[in-house]
Amino acid sequence: MRTRNVPTIGVLIIAVICASYASGAKSDDFGSVVKMIEQFYHVKHQGIPFLARAGMKAATTAARIKGGTARRLAEAGSIKLAVFEDQQFNSAGRLTQFRSSLNAALVGSWSPLVQTLSATDGTQTYIFLRDATDKFHVLVVTIEPQDATVVQVTLSPRNLALLLKDPDGIGREITDEATTVDPD
Amino acid sequence: MKLLFQQIIKTLILGSLVLAASASRATAQDSSRLRLTSLDALAGKASETVDVNIDERLMHVAASALTSDDDSKEIKKLINGIKGIYVKSFEFEHENEYSAADVEDIRAQLRLPGWSKLVNVTSKKEGNVEVYVLFNGDTVGGLTILSTEPKELTVVNIVGPVDLQKLAEFEGQFGIPDLGLESPKPKTKKED
Repeated sequence: MRTRNVPTIGVLIIAVICASYASGAKSDDFGSVVKMIEQFYHVKHQGIPFLARAGMKAATTAARIKGGTARRLAEAGSIKLAVFEDQQFNSAGRLTQFRSSLNAALVGSWSPLVQTLSATDGTQTYIFLRDATDKFHVLVVTIEPQDATVVQVTLSPRNLALLLKDPDGIGREITDEATTVDPD
Repeated sequence: MKLLFQQIIKTLILGSLVLAASASRATAQDSSRLRLTSLDALAGKASETVDVNIDERLMHVAASALTSDDDSKEIKKLINGIKGIYVKSFEFEHENEYSAADVEDIRAQLRLPGWSKLVNVTSKKEGNVEVYVLFNGDTVGGLTILSTEPKELTVVNIVGPVDLQKLAEFEGQFGIPDLGLESPKPKTKKED
């Protein structure tokens, strides 16, 4: 009896390992996107500790985003951030190539909400969404000629509704909020 | 026994009618969603590209989450029942960087039965703005705005019932660009 159960238990263990590996891979799409940007543009990102040391953007208060009372979009503790500062993002003739690579990397697990490409000034903004039961994960990728940010946040349905109503504006606010440090 | 048999037949007929009605509604909804992928190739030539995809699930979230203030109530009313908003917009540096052939796949879909062109929609912007509506009986089942300017092309596809009198209120919201639309009168002309 005990011997006959061994293969079943083995299969179960393998299934659990595979499932956790699959969910781990899915949850690290943020890391994959950061890596993809690094490989595509031959750049390196800086993490939050580097930003804190350098004091970049630290003086900007959240209240300044809206010129009044700060409105917190992201759920507390949900922000993942990677920043690329003062590096070369040469997108000339390669905007659509990068877009295709990014879409291919996230297809299946994330849905594209907004994608804006500007060959004129070399900027790109991508907003992807992923359902998280009663909340939503939002991934915002912004690439400019010399800077880029990748932000992942969790939004409540209410804030997602605001994002849908004004995808450009709220997408920018999510990035601003993630790269802003409160003075207090 | 005969009575029971009649009852079963009645129930079956009623059930079939309900199924047929919902299938027809689903078909109308499906056909109001245009395939816009043929335009994707233009992104390589365009100086500015905007691509917006808000599907039914997201519209539902927006409609149920926007409830608290008066401003949100108005928007909630505006998007009530809408199953999706899809936008593709391209700006080009020079004229003639896109051709009629690039838009032909979209136009072909708008020539399919059910779609009608609203002839009385005007735009404050220069260029040609066409509004097509998919009627589902007396109600609007979907809408497409096709804006063609020498250096700009925009397609907006709204799936689901749209209040035509409030069409202009969509501009600048849900990723829909400002097309300078003026509210149409109810008169329509069937496309050939």
